[in-house]
Amino acid sequence: MLHRIFHIARRDLTLEFRERYSFLSAILYLIAITFIVYKVFGRIEPPTRIGLFWILILFTCINVVSYSFSFHGQKRKYYHYILYRSYELIIAKWLINLVKMLIAGFLLVLLQSIFADEPMKDIALFSKVYLLSIFGMTAAMTLISSISSYSQNQNTLIAIMSIPLLIPILLVGMRLSLISERIIVDTEIDNYLMMLVGIDIVYIAILIIFIPLTWKA
Amino acid sequence: MDIKKNWWKVLSVILMLYVLIAGILIPISPGLLDFDNSNAITGQKYNVKVKAYNTHFDQAKNLNAYLLLPSDQMLPADHIDLINAVELSASFSIPQDIIPDSVDRLDCSIVIDNEIDGYVQYPDAVTIKDTGSVSQLLEYKALVPISSLQGVDDFNFPFRPIVYETVRNTFFHVAIWMAMFLILLVSCYHSIRYLMSTDLLHDQKSSALTSVALVFGIAGLITGSMWARFTWGTWWTNDVKLNMTSIALLIYCSYWILRSSLTDIDTRARLSSVFNLFSFIALMILVMVIPRMTDSLHPGNGGNPAFGDEDLDNTLRTIFYPAIIAYTLLGLWIAQLSVRYYRAKDNIELMIYNNSK
Repeated sequence: MLHRIFHIARRDLTLEFRERYSFLSAILYLIAITFIVYKVFGRIEPPTRIGLFWILILFTCINVVSYSFSFHGQKRKYYHYILYRSYELIIAKWLINLVKMLIAGFLLVLLQSIFADEPMKDIALFSKVYLLSIFGMTAAMTLISSISSYSQNQNTLIAIMSIPLLIPILLVGMRLSLISERIIVDTEIDNYLMMLVGIDIVYIAILIIFIPLTWKA
Repeated sequence: MDIKKNWWKVLSVILMLYVLIAGILIPISPGLLDFDNSNAITGQKYNVKVKAYNTHFDQAKNLNAYLLLPSDQMLPADHIDLINAVELSASFSIPQDIIPDSVDRLDCSIVIDNEIDGYVQYPDAVTIKDTGSVSQLLEYKALVPISSLQGVDDFNFPFRPIVYETVRNTFFHVAIWMAMFLILLVSCYHSIRYLMSTDLLHDQKSSALTSVALVFGIAGLITGSMWARFTWGTWWTNDVKLNMTSIALLIYCSYWILRSSLTDIDTRARLSSVFNLFSFIALMILVMVIPRMTDSLHPGNGGNPAFGDEDLDNTLRTIFYPAIIAYTLLGLWIAQLSVRYYRAKDNIELMIYNNSK
């Protein structure tokens, strides 16, 4: 099973590399917004920087993940349905989205560090939080994009359905990253991390359980 | 109408009437609202004017005022001046040896006792200090035990500071939320039934139940907002539970957008069933888990107790639990009517279609 998942992931990565404009446009969007914001405001205080980071990650996530089903024609869907088990396909897609979001997050941290001229204060905690957050975010977004790929106005629907679902992750992630920037002091870091892990597990479990049901068209 | 088959509809109406009538008409227990003097000195007179709520001081024959000491002994008042049914002023002579050697001050409660209302008290109202000065010679009354209070056994809602009469909102705000959760649970059951059987009736039921639950959720938000205006002072606060419930309602609104954006009936039924289950789990995370981990003004969150004896005493329970049942049954009834309406509409459309062929 793992072998098959990696096989699908590798094939999809190749396809993505051929049609790389979608991911690169999302990255360009990220860089452009960061550049504009830093040029307009000059110096940005750490809380604003954290807020900006998470908002940009949210919209990049929506951009990146909504592409994962959009150029799948009806015929390719039937082909996949015959060839693979649905959960293998979806885990492969999820892994690819995860890799993309990792790249985007790394780039954004790098950009913000360069523009703000100061590095993150607790990079270990921050990367832990970021990793845990995108696990849940990409899982929820992959399910939503798979659901909304049946509809006509796909992109609007993805934004409407996913933002409420991502808010709990964003709230916990924002609080933890404020702690990592030493802006607020909290002794319950482990508690919040466990909360993130719990949300991740629930969303990933939902993804794997429900995908076969949405796939049956 | 067949009463035997539709007994639960009759039950819902009876319970609803019971909740409305009993919940509005049963009075709040008497209590003390306010007093004007919180410092007493040993060896001197202590005068206090007390404002109470829902009491009958003017009709009472046996009216007494006490200071309740931490040792469960009570100091009776020298005399009481009645102002009206809810106001009186009392004066006490504080004995010099009232403070034990181990402490330097005493926090006492004001207790007012009569045979109509029973006793009412304001906890930790007065601080007695010893300044060592004796200004006048007083006749001190002997302390009496706490068992001499006149308990009255009547059926009243509890008197809570800050909340006062709005304690009745428990039967509306809290009960509507509970009913919403139960209805969403039934809706999830029908979603699972649809995914297992692909019978469109289950999808219709689940969507009707979800829309009823959405209406209940909005009603719960409005009643909660009113309650917040009276107790916390604003219509909307930044409380975590408020934010999380509004997000949860947004998720259910997006359920409706999803339904309306899909045109194929089977695809719509399948995807919206999946999304219904998904959003119920998200609702559980948002409303049940996260508020418990952070500070909240709501009972039950951030270390506040909920459904303990502090919040919900037995008089409230006798209305609160029937209220939950009444709202749930009423919601199921509305959903049933809605399902019937849409089925009838579908049948008529089918008939017109067949006739036109």
